[in-house]
Amino acid sequence: MGQDNQQQGETASTGQAQPSRRVSYKVIIGGLVIILPLLWVLFSGLFMDPHRMDAPLVGRNAPAFDLPELNSDGTRSLASYRGKPLVLNFFATWCLPCRSEHPVLNQAARQFGDRIQFVGVVYEDKRAVVNAWLNRYGGQAFPTLIDIGGKAAIAYGVYGVPETFFIDPQGVIRSKHVGPMDPMVIRSRIALLVGGGS
Amino acid sequence: MSLALFGRLLILAALAFACAGAVLGFHAGRSRSALALKLARRFAYAFAGALILATLVMEYALLTHDFSVSYVAQVGSRATPIHITIVSLWSSLEGSILFWGLVLAVFVAALTRSLRDKNLAFAPDTIGVVLAIGSFFAFLLAGPANPFGDVPNVPLDGPGPNPLLQNHPLMIVHPPLLYLGYVGMAIPFAMGAAALIHGGMSSAWMSSIRRWMLIPWTFLTGGIVMGGWWAYEVLGWGGYWAWDPVENASFLPWLTATAFLHAAMLQERRGQLKAWTLVLLFVTFALTILGTFMTRSGVFNSVHSFTQSAIGPTFLVFLAVVLIFSVFLLAFRVNTLEPGRPLRSWRSRDFAFIFNNLLLVLFTFTVLVGTCFPLLVEAIRGAKLSVGEPFFNQFALPIGTAIVFLMGIGPALPWGRASADDAKTALLWPVVLSVVVTSGAAGLLMAQGHEPKLWPLLCVAASTLALVVALRDMWTPIRALRKRHDSGLGTAAIKALKRGRRRYGGQIVHIGVALVTLSIGISGGYREIGEKLLKRGESMKVGDYTLTFAGSKNVSDPHRQRILGIVRVASGDRQMGEMYPAMNHYPRQMNPIGTPAVRSTLTGDLYLSAMQIDPAGSFIGLRVYLNPAVPWLWVGMFVMMVGGTISAWPGRRRKRGPAAAEAA
Repeated sequence: MGQDNQQQGETASTGQAQPSRRVSYKVIIGGLVIILPLLWVLFSGLFMDPHRMDAPLVGRNAPAFDLPELNSDGTRSLASYRGKPLVLNFFATWCLPCRSEHPVLNQAARQFGDRIQFVGVVYEDKRAVVNAWLNRYGGQAFPTLIDIGGKAAIAYGVYGVPETFFIDPQGVIRSKHVGPMDPMVIRSRIALLVGGGS
Repeated sequence: MSLALFGRLLILAALAFACAGAVLGFHAGRSRSALALKLARRFAYAFAGALILATLVMEYALLTHDFSVSYVAQVGSRATPIHITIVSLWSSLEGSILFWGLVLAVFVAALTRSLRDKNLAFAPDTIGVVLAIGSFFAFLLAGPANPFGDVPNVPLDGPGPNPLLQNHPLMIVHPPLLYLGYVGMAIPFAMGAAALIHGGMSSAWMSSIRRWMLIPWTFLTGGIVMGGWWAYEVLGWGGYWAWDPVENASFLPWLTATAFLHAAMLQERRGQLKAWTLVLLFVTFALTILGTFMTRSGVFNSVHSFTQSAIGPTFLVFLAVVLIFSVFLLAFRVNTLEPGRPLRSWRSRDFAFIFNNLLLVLFTFTVLVGTCFPLLVEAIRGAKLSVGEPFFNQFALPIGTAIVFLMGIGPALPWGRASADDAKTALLWPVVLSVVVTSGAAGLLMAQGHEPKLWPLLCVAASTLALVVALRDMWTPIRALRKRHDSGLGTAAIKALKRGRRRYGGQIVHIGVALVTLSIGISGGYREIGEKLLKRGESMKVGDYTLTFAGSKNVSDPHRQRILGIVRVASGDRQMGEMYPAMNHYPRQMNPIGTPAVRSTLTGDLYLSAMQIDPAGSFIGLRVYLNPAVPWLWVGMFVMMVGGTISAWPGRRRKRGPAAAEAA
């Protein structure tokens, strides 16, 4: 850009050129149409705890399932876990929060394993990568089932992963946790489960 | 006086200076009062000085372990090494906002100095806008994110910073680069807004804005890629990008800033798209604020979030103010912009630039929707949902590849209009070379027993095209100079670089982008993974490599315990030494954090990640990745940063006139 250009620029900047000061209502309407919904979504996000939601299934019988086991050719059904409190954890290997949650679950399974059955359900994921993932993020202290086609996840109304259901020995869902659990959460939920179930 | 109180007073002073300076700046813009402008500039310097001093006070408190300052009590620890203590300034929320303030302070001081020529019509409003933004950050530091709180019962020691920060040197570099990028976007925003407030826009001012945009753009480029690099070197999942909300938050303003850098050129040269260019500028700044909101509000579920922070609502209000201000400013002033010359032909660089802008904005829109979609669904149906990598990759691959193809076509065409023959001549060789290289790559892959895949090969084709065009564009002026002056290659190259710094900078950036594209395409398509539980003395084979577990080693650092797995590496018959994937245990942290071991060569990485290591050394759970072409991603980033720096580098200063501002 030479000197000319800058000269021109200066005249334009002093506002003496022909352009007008008319207000463009198109810009106002167009702009508001884009930004108001965005602001509304973000604003509503402030009042939502990303870890909590209402669960219509709480207090009802847990939906039955019959799913293949990760490391065998057999399948396990919900009925086969009857008689012991059950912690059913839906997860996926592509889910970031699951990574932080998995060691917590393993720890809990080692601690409460004699009294409470822990079961993981891999949700919408490939069988090949699951084993690797489990070992990387804390090991396999409890059995894992594969939810091919996501039927169990749909039956349980899983919105996203991780999501965990606490089921009493009679097969009734006592509570549900959305998002990754920390040691505090899992302990309090188990206390609730054991207290409410027996 | 306690350090905490001193710090609080400095923050309050910064707030007062920013408010006063903003009011005076806007007043000077209306009244053209030289005195008001002079005072506004003084207040801008005072604001910068107070924030810089406040940061120094915080660093002093951190280094002297003064746990009576709330932030030090939160992140300090006597066991932490000194260099980690220094950088723990940005390891948690309040400190990172203070660091944010520091970066803004430095930018404000540099901007104010560059606007010292009093003839500049837009200077007062620019200072007004930038100090208004400064008031907001000073307000955050004074209230919702105050790092200088009093601690009633002073503890003897603190918990230390987040262990992830202590895990790798890249974590020392990545956040500041990102902040420099994010915060720096406030400066071009202020300059663009000032032009509109004043009514009008000039080419000289636009190229000055563009240069101020190039600075944060270069930092942001480095910040984003180094974030990926850090994830790659530390997190141990073998990849560098996961479309996490916060990664997306840093990528969004980069996309619109890139669109702006191109649109601004079109505006400078052809007077086109003035309003659109300003929209991109405003959107970029708004996206940096949105990104901060995403990182700091706890609304998004992410590994980066400092959860449940009180500053979420404050940032949202600020975002709303910025967006609504931008819309109304544009509406009230858009008609003061002179219309540009219309597009003459689709066979032109102009058209390629417009198309590039559309693709970049489409890219931005897709990533934004993917990131916010879970929130939208929750707001409407109360349902939770997460949008995973497959969604993003599905869109990112075609759009990204198309942008890189355009990067090869656009610079090959002239501005204005090219005849069909000219266009053919300009594109013939690059296209031929691109086809040849791509076929060669496909042949090589098949010879090695891999199947040729569509996207990696398209990436190769697009990057080759862009590379050839960029190199030719750089070579042409050098050749002309050599012919005319009969000078040596070196002299001609230096002369050409001096004359066409922007052109060379831009083309070097394009070369960097081509390298990055190549790396993403190949590493995404052809990575190999192997995994096994190895007992001591056992081996596994991945690709050409044989890996043998030879025991483990325990290492005690002052702030952590490490277990290193000793893995012997051999390629065919050749012994290549040992690699040490590790597990780190930090006090006060339940779960160990793995550190992978990476061996890089020009063609790719051997990446070992331990899933578990027996402290006695009897077994290791080992995951092995062969990641081809990944090192080229980091090389590409450095090339892009070099190009950005060359473009933004100040030219020879002219004595008087508006060019001085441009040169600063």
